[in-house]
Parts: sequence; structure tokens; C-alpha cells
Amino acid sequence: MKGWLSLVPLFLAGALAAPVELKINLRIGEQPLRFGQTYQTPQGQRYQIEMLKFYLSEVALVRPDGSEVPAKGLVLADFRPGGPTQGVSVMKMDVPAGQYRGLRFNVGVPRELNHLDAGTQQMPLGVNSGMYWAWNPGYIFYRLEGLALLPEGNQKWVIHMGTDAFRIPVRLQDLQTRRVQINIPPSGGVITLNLDVSKAFQPGPGGAFVDWRQRPMRQLHGLSPETSLLMSVVYYHMQSAFSLAQ
Amino acid sequence: MPVPDDNPQTPAKVALGRQLFFDPRLSRDGKVACASCHQPRFAFSDGGKPVSTGIYGRKGQRNAPSLTNVAFRRHLFWEGRSPRLELQAVGPLTAHDEMGMEPDELSERLKAIPEYAKAFQEVFGEAPSLRSVTYAIAAFERTLLSYNSPFDRYQAGDDKAMSEAALRGMELFFSEKGDCFHCHVGPDFTDDEPRNTALYTVYKDIGLARATGKDEDVGKFKTPTLRNVALTAPYMHDGSIQTLREAVQHYNQGGQPNLNADALIRPLGLTDAEVDDLVAFLQSLTDESFTTNPAFLPPR
Repeated sequence: MKGWLSLVPLFLAGALAAPVELKINLRIGEQPLRFGQTYQTPQGQRYQIEMLKFYLSEVALVRPDGSEVPAKGLVLADFRPGGPTQGVSVMKMDVPAGQYRGLRFNVGVPRELNHLDAGTQQMPLGVNSGMYWAWNPGYIFYRLEGLALLPEGNQKWVIHMGTDAFRIPVRLQDLQTRRVQINIPPSGGVITLNLDVSKAFQPGPGGAFVDWRQRPMRQLHGLSPETSLLMSVVYYHMQSAFSLAQ
Repeated sequence: MPVPDDNPQTPAKVALGRQLFFDPRLSRDGKVACASCHQPRFAFSDGGKPVSTGIYGRKGQRNAPSLTNVAFRRHLFWEGRSPRLELQAVGPLTAHDEMGMEPDELSERLKAIPEYAKAFQEVFGEAPSLRSVTYAIAAFERTLLSYNSPFDRYQAGDDKAMSEAALRGMELFFSEKGDCFHCHVGPDFTDDEPRNTALYTVYKDIGLARATGKDEDVGKFKTPTLRNVALTAPYMHDGSIQTLREAVQHYNQGGQPNLNADALIRPLGLTDAEVDDLVAFLQSLTDESFTTNPAFLPPR
């Protein structure tokens, strides 16, 4: 009898599980991001995006009572010239059909995976992912690279955000006002997110901004007297760079 | 020699690693090889350059370290944060101011070279990938052993191997007065630990703190090996000291005021003659056979 009872929740959960696909639209502000197109920061610096790769992990749908339905898995979203930037499927999961009040996830690799020997790991981890951080073991969580179109010529810039301290929590849930409603029917559904890549270039406290005219700013990765504040600024804005597409 | 279980040494793998080490096709612009900045004749350092030049003429920010006996290093890079050669090699291969390759780009490029496609299949049983490239290069690097300096020959019983000045310098080196041996310890003259040597009061490059974010780690860089050190000028993490004598004088004078300075850093009170003797000892750590060993030179 005891064994039979313990099977009931599993059976119900299995019966009601619905396939859900997570898709992403890359945006620059309100516009779809296009590789090779020139954009402008709020401070007037012109740039192009050449690459965006990031890990999504610890994804969960949030029920109306605030409890979470976690989805297993770690995925590496990879956007590069020649590939699509809109409606790109990045993850598939099975969750119970029903009403949810939002979604949460982390941009990054869970700590328990982040420090395993990368030589022994399989994709999307491991050195072949292009996300392993050799000088500071662990993975780059969010890798954004591009060109700055400066008067003296084009300059490469990178934003590499990693280490456990820079795992980016994204919370797209609203339990109080019910403005966020995600309905997953038994047949399954799609959740589409917008990612405003240009959020990285919004100014921070005191007007600090990613100024590519200064050489140290072209390599935002790790901490240094010149870049630590900007790393915090980018990190802060990244938490609100994702939104649920309407 | 420590060899990781997942990357056993084989002659074929070492030969492949050697081929890759000297091959500029591993870089995005096809002009930079590992050996461009780790040149055999300079004990696999970058021959007088404070910092190295990567693809498209991009300058790096740190001095390329010697690869002498690198198989025995427990920590790699100037911060000492990389645990083994296979993972360390990912850094220069992918850094945009060094070789600048993406994993898939590297894989495709090597697959298109029949000799490499065949060799990787034979050695790893698979097509080339960033991972297998780093494993082969690490296998080659583990062969870069150097224990045939005058100091080694003296240790082995050749009483004439070292000059009188070098012998006096050796006494100073291992004495509390010279006090070099606490950090430059062991067969390779390094404790492999990050330390602040009071090179600056304010460090432009904050060293280990770049990774840890801790104030107490500002200005800490890994103690380098002193084997073949006479061949690896300029010195320090940024190549800011030009000669061995100036490096010894830096320690003799006690460095610059710095809150994180290692406790061992203090004025040593060495005379000019004693500084000369220490330099003579450091020069006795040069292994000429290391720079001319045919097995370490570009394959024909």
C-alpha cells in the first residue's frame, strides 16, 4: 500500500507533463539585433555586435503560490553572424500543464559544475564550448563581443562575465499583480524571451559607462582598478535585460 | 614527471604537440604560433620583449614566462590559477590578443590539413578539436626538461662546473642574508605561489586580485622558476626590469612601499660585489643544451 501511494504523484505528474520550448529574441532596445549593423551607445559611441554566447541554468517556472517547478539541464545559447537572432530555440523542458506566474533562471553555470576539470567535461561544458576561462578556472557565463567604431579605427571589445560572484539571476515573475501569466496547456507551449543586449552599455552610478576609447575598457573580464566598477554596472543592467515577449 | 591520467604521454602525441607548438596556422591571422612568444633559444620565453605581440599586432599585457620544466608547475599563469597545462593552453589559443581562435574555427582549419587530420585520428581517435590540440601541446610541453646547467653539474660532483663568483653567489642565495631561497625553492627554484614583491606602490595590473577581488591579493604574481633565468630577460610580470643585476638590486633595496608586500621583502644590505656574485650564480642556472636540443626545435 505504501509503495502504491508513493507512485501516485509521479503518475499524475507524468500524465500532465507538457513540452515547453524556451525561445529568445535578441534586441537592441526595441529593435531586433542584426549582426553587422552599427548601433550607438547612449554616450554616442558606435558599435557592432559580433558574438553573444551565454549559459542558462537553474530554469524554473513559478506557480501562483510562489513554489517553483524546476527544469533540469544547462544550455549554452550561441548567437553568431550567419545565424538567426529571433525566435531562437535554446531549451526544451517538460513541466506540468497549468497556469504560472513567471519564470526564473540564472545566466551562468551552477557552482557545482563551474569548477570541475574542464578537460573531462562534455558539451555544453568543457574547453570545446569556447566558454572556458583558462586564467581564472570556471566558465565565462555571458560572453558578448563586438567592434567599436572609433575615430582612430575599429577596435575589438569583449565583455566576459564569469566567476561565481557574477552569476546573473533573472526573475521574470509577478505573484502580486498577476500581470505575468504563463499558460501551459497539456499540448505544450512556447515561452519567448527578449534579451536587450544594449543594456550592457547603459550608464551606471556617476554616469560610468563602457568607454571604448580607453583601452582597458575594451576587455571587461575579471576585476581591475579600471574595470571593476564597469563590471558591476554591466552585471546590474544584465539582471533586467531579459523580459517576457508579449 | 607528473602526467594526468587522461593525457598519457606517447611519442606520437608528443610529436603532434611539437608540430602544433611551432605552427602559426593555429592563430586567426596565421602568423602567431605558441613558439612565437615561447622561443627555444630564450628558454621558451619571448626574447627581450616586455610583453608579447599577438594576432594583428595586438600587444599583450604580461611577460611571456619560460616553459623550462613547466611539467612540474602546480599552478600556471602569472596569477597561478590554472591547474594544468591542458587547460592553460586554452588561454593563449583563444585570447583575442594572442592567437584568437574559436574552438570550431580551429577544428575546421586543422581538419582541412590532411597531415593533421590523420595525426589526430591516430593519436586521439577523433578529429582535431580545441581539447585535443591542448592535450597534444601539453604532452610536448612536458618534455621541456632542463637539468644540465653548471649548477646541476656541480651538484653532481663536478667541482669545476661553477665559477668562484657563482659559488659565492650560491652561498648568498641559500643564506638568510640573501634570502632568495624561501620563495625560489626546490629543484626548479620556485614555490609556485603568488607573492607581492613590492615592485610598485600602486599596481596597474593587480595580479591575483583580478581573479579573487581581494584587496590582499593586489600585486600578487606567481614566483617564476629561476632555471635559465639569464636567457629570459626582461623580468617581472610586466617585463619592466631589463637585467638580472637590476632584478637582484630590486630585492636588495627592498622594493617600493606596499601594504601587501611579502614579509620577506626588505632591504638586504648586499654590497655591489655580493650582487655580482648572486648574478653569477643565477647565470650558472643556464642549461645550454636546453636551447639547442633538436627535440625541442621546430620539426623539419
